Amino acid sequence: MILPRLALRNLLRQRRRTALTLMVVVAGFLALSLAGGFMAQTFQGLSDAAIRGGLGHLQVLPPDALEGDEAQSLEKALPDGEALAAQLRRDPAVAEVLPRIQFMGLLSNGPKSVAFLGTAVDPVLEPRHMASAEALKDGARAPGGAGSRWLSADPAAREVILGVGLARALGASVGSSLTLMSTTRDGALNAADVEVAGLQDLGLRELNDRLLTVSLATAGQLLEAGPARSRLSLVLKRPGDTAREQARIQALLPGASVKPWFELASFYRQVKLLYFAIFGFMGLVLFLVVLLATANTLLMSVMERVREFGVLRAMGLQPGQLMALLQWEGAFLGLLGSALGLAATLLLRAGLNALHLQMPAPPGTSHGYELNIHFVPLVYLVVAVGLQATLQVSALVPGLKAARLRIVEALRHV
Amino acid sequence: MLELHQLTRAYELGGERAGVFGVSLTVPKGCLAVLAGPSGSGKTTLLQLAGLLDTPDAGEVRLDGQVVSSLPERARCDLRLRRLGFVFQAFNLVPVLSALENALLPLQLQGLPGDEARHRAEAALARVGLADRMHHRPGQLSGGQQQRVAIARALAPDPLLVLADEPTASLDHAHGGPLMDLLAELTAERGATFLVASHDPAVIARADRVFRLADGKLIEEEHR
Repeated sequence: MILPRLALRNLLRQRRRTALTLMVVVAGFLALSLAGGFMAQTFQGLSDAAIRGGLGHLQVLPPDALEGDEAQSLEKALPDGEALAAQLRRDPAVAEVLPRIQFMGLLSNGPKSVAFLGTAVDPVLEPRHMASAEALKDGARAPGGAGSRWLSADPAAREVILGVGLARALGASVGSSLTLMSTTRDGALNAADVEVAGLQDLGLRELNDRLLTVSLATAGQLLEAGPARSRLSLVLKRPGDTAREQARIQALLPGASVKPWFELASFYRQVKLLYFAIFGFMGLVLFLVVLLATANTLLMSVMERVREFGVLRAMGLQPGQLMALLQWEGAFLGLLGSALGLAATLLLRAGLNALHLQMPAPPGTSHGYELNIHFVPLVYLVVAVGLQATLQVSALVPGLKAARLRIVEALRHV
Repeated sequence: MLELHQLTRAYELGGERAGVFGVSLTVPKGCLAVLAGPSGSGKTTLLQLAGLLDTPDAGEVRLDGQVVSSLPERARCDLRLRRLGFVFQAFNLVPVLSALENALLPLQLQGLPGDEARHRAEAALARVGLADRMHHRPGQLSGGQQQRVAIARALAPDPLLVLADEPTASLDHAHGGPLMDLLAELTAERGATFLVASHDPAVIARADRVFRLADGKLIEEEHR
């Protein structure tokens, strides 16, 4: 154990330089782990938004629903979606099945008509599992949104919830009467008068300008849908089992396509790729900075100890043992730097989260969110291992330089 | 015990050819031998060749009858660790280690068990009169004390041969004399073999055998 002890003492010999090098390692750890925690918050937010925005954990679709033109009509539908939903509700892994109809058409206030994308949902089940209430709460703050409420459970009620942009385009507010126009399953034009029950803010401008929600009963009458449903959103009892349950339920339903939410949430996937690219590049730069800083420190330390290395070699230390000595020095810098970096990360994370900082709205979305950097032990572990590997690499060149010293020249070194 | 046979090692120094040229000598076991001569006579070069720190251009170094100068570096390292000890002019202790840890260093590198290594290092330090300075770092010791630590470090592994390069050059007369007395005592007491490079008359006066060098050649050999 003489080499580790020597390495530690050597680091303590130049305390100021060691402290500066440690600061580089700590800064690298801090930046990478905070970025990792921020990414985790973003991914968690996006996955929650996708799942609770209507996708559920799994979606049961008609087999060809995602091929070619994804029609917003009942042309591609599960013919007896209600029976299938009832069957799936009996499955022990399924917490709930939420049937949906996707449709499109025109929404008119008389003088003006605007194209819409509609979703019909079960007015009783939907608020229990999806983020309908949050979207309504945000919509109630928009102009004309006061008094917003969820759709009535009465099958005879003909009500609609509008995206805030769609309401603005038609000058509609809660209580306004509008007309929905669309084509039935057979292609005939049909219309239904509806009352605006509420406004919803879905967070994305494009969705707010086009999206509306009605009950399955209202869409059933407008589209003459019968038991057909566009898709079924499945809420699982154990979300962590999504991939396994997808395979199992797909095997049970050979006539349908069962997709996990992450395959359907394209925005989530794109943001994830973008973040990995941005933070991956940032990480690479940081690792490079740490590599150069520590290699410089260790190299300087070798240059200052040439005569000492000559003595150690004269005493019988093998060249490989000198390299090992430098590796130990790199190892201690890494271990100590990561430990201090972890402490700094936890402190700064707690401080930043306590400030309840409001982040600006991301591109394409209509409102910001509160910064809440997540605690992700796996990220800390990966960063620590990455930094440790970087430090071991940075100790290689100084180690080789030390090992290649000629003893007689090293002993003469002043 | 140590035989140098027709050793040659040449190098350029300030545009002139220096080194040692065709030197042969023998140092028997238990002898305190001195390589004497003025600066540039080749004392240190010869000592480095004898200590396997450098490789001769020609000739052989034999230790206990075995040719060791042509061994691969790994084997030479091992020989230096287990059979040779070094004392340098500038003490060359490891500054971040205490006197005890410096004396322990070669024993730990040899892989000796902790207790045994500690016992031997403490005994070596006690023998050179530093029992009460074991936990001092080199910076907290005088020059004479540092050189005693270096001797303890060289002797602790009980080597066949100790090579000392100008061990008194960094010490004043008051410290140099007692240090040489100590070397002479150790030679007699432990049967250790010392080869010392020095031009200090006090060192030469205590030697059993003196090899005088000039311009890289052995010009005189004196047995006492």
